[in-house]
Amino acid sequence: MAGSRLEKIGTIYTRTSGLIRSGAINWEDRPLWYDIYEASPPKEEPRFDRPAPNMKLKNIFYAEDQFRAMFHRNNKHLGTSNMFNNYYKSVSQKFIEIYQSLEKENAENSNQEQLYKEAIEVLRRDKDIKKETEQEEPLSLSSAFKEAKSNQIKEMPKVDVTNIFKD
Amino acid sequence: MLKRISKTSFINLRSICLSASHRQQQLEQENAPKKLREEVLLHPDYFKVHNLFTVKDLFDARVHFGHRDGSLDERMLPYIYGSRLGHIIFDLDKTAEYLRKALNVTAHIAYRDGVIIFFQRGAQNAYLVEKTAKECGEFAHTRFWRGGIFTNATKQFGCVTRLPDLCIFFNTLNNVLIQHTAVRDAAKMLIATIGIVDSNCNPNLITYPVPGNDDSPASMELYCKLFKAAIFRGKEKRKEHIEQNIYLV
Repeated sequence: MAGSRLEKIGTIYTRTSGLIRSGAINWEDRPLWYDIYEASPPKEEPRFDRPAPNMKLKNIFYAEDQFRAMFHRNNKHLGTSNMFNNYYKSVSQKFIEIYQSLEKENAENSNQEQLYKEAIEVLRRDKDIKKETEQEEPLSLSSAFKEAKSNQIKEMPKVDVTNIFKD
Repeated sequence: MLKRISKTSFINLRSICLSASHRQQQLEQENAPKKLREEVLLHPDYFKVHNLFTVKDLFDARVHFGHRDGSLDERMLPYIYGSRLGHIIFDLDKTAEYLRKALNVTAHIAYRDGVIIFFQRGAQNAYLVEKTAKECGEFAHTRFWRGGIFTNATKQFGCVTRLPDLCIFFNTLNNVLIQHTAVRDAAKMLIATIGIVDSNCNPNLITYPVPGNDDSPASMELYCKLFKAAIFRGKEKRKEHIEQNIYLV
């Protein structure tokens, strides 16, 4: 079968069209992809010499990066966190949430350092509260089982077994 | 060639013999597959490949991670969202658009009984790609590319060889980080290509490029799953239409 091996000139579509037009390939012998290419052409022509667009690579930054950096600079002992786990929020995520809510509350006189200190205070308090509640009710396997059982009973629909086959 | 001549002469013979009313019926019958063909081909998404994945699936499979910005190929810039602390991040909305187009083309080629070949260099994901090709009933090439497999096929295999109709590159670089020779060879032999292009690849010669991460096993699994599903959809439709006796492409 005739072909055009000059891959640096035009695209596979233009080269095939040329071969068909000049009679080197019969219309019936056109490649399988030819109709599909015509029906849904690619967004950009697949030319070898398509120049690189004149664009600049932009940097991705968020507003919270500023105080996130501050938080991590002052707390280098945070340890590792599992990035595949989306169920729990990491310490720095919690900190950012607290900081942003505090920033919203006192929008007029927001001093970055003051807000930072307050947010750290709130974070520490939350941690202490959590610790205390854990001490009061130590989570054991038996208590967890009991709790789950009681929840299950609550959620069960009430069915009167004796009257199932009536009506 | 033989087939074509016999078919046309058969139609001529029939048209001479049959009466006008019969000819009308015959024309209608002949128009039906043509209509179907247009319906299949010109439909924007006949095989419904758009519902195979969501942008969230791409994100979960880590498709948005590119390489460091030092290895960036300038031609990849339009597909990139930005650089986060030196790491390229792809724009997944654009990736989804390009991937849907590529899946649609794959399904169409499978529908027309085309030969599809998967390419992948790198030992980590090679087995996965070969297994996927086996499951689809298609072909894979994941080893060193000896030059001339496409361009000198007649000599190498000793007779005229049917080349594939679509090459799917899961990785357009070879293992020394220069472009896979098969990309160039496919362009030479007028074969359509689909390629996952990472931030250090050149998308120019790929007919249907898909910007995205080509290294993580998670994203590779997603691509394999999607292309397999698209091929299956194309083949199922083909089987269905052949059974109903309406397939004619």
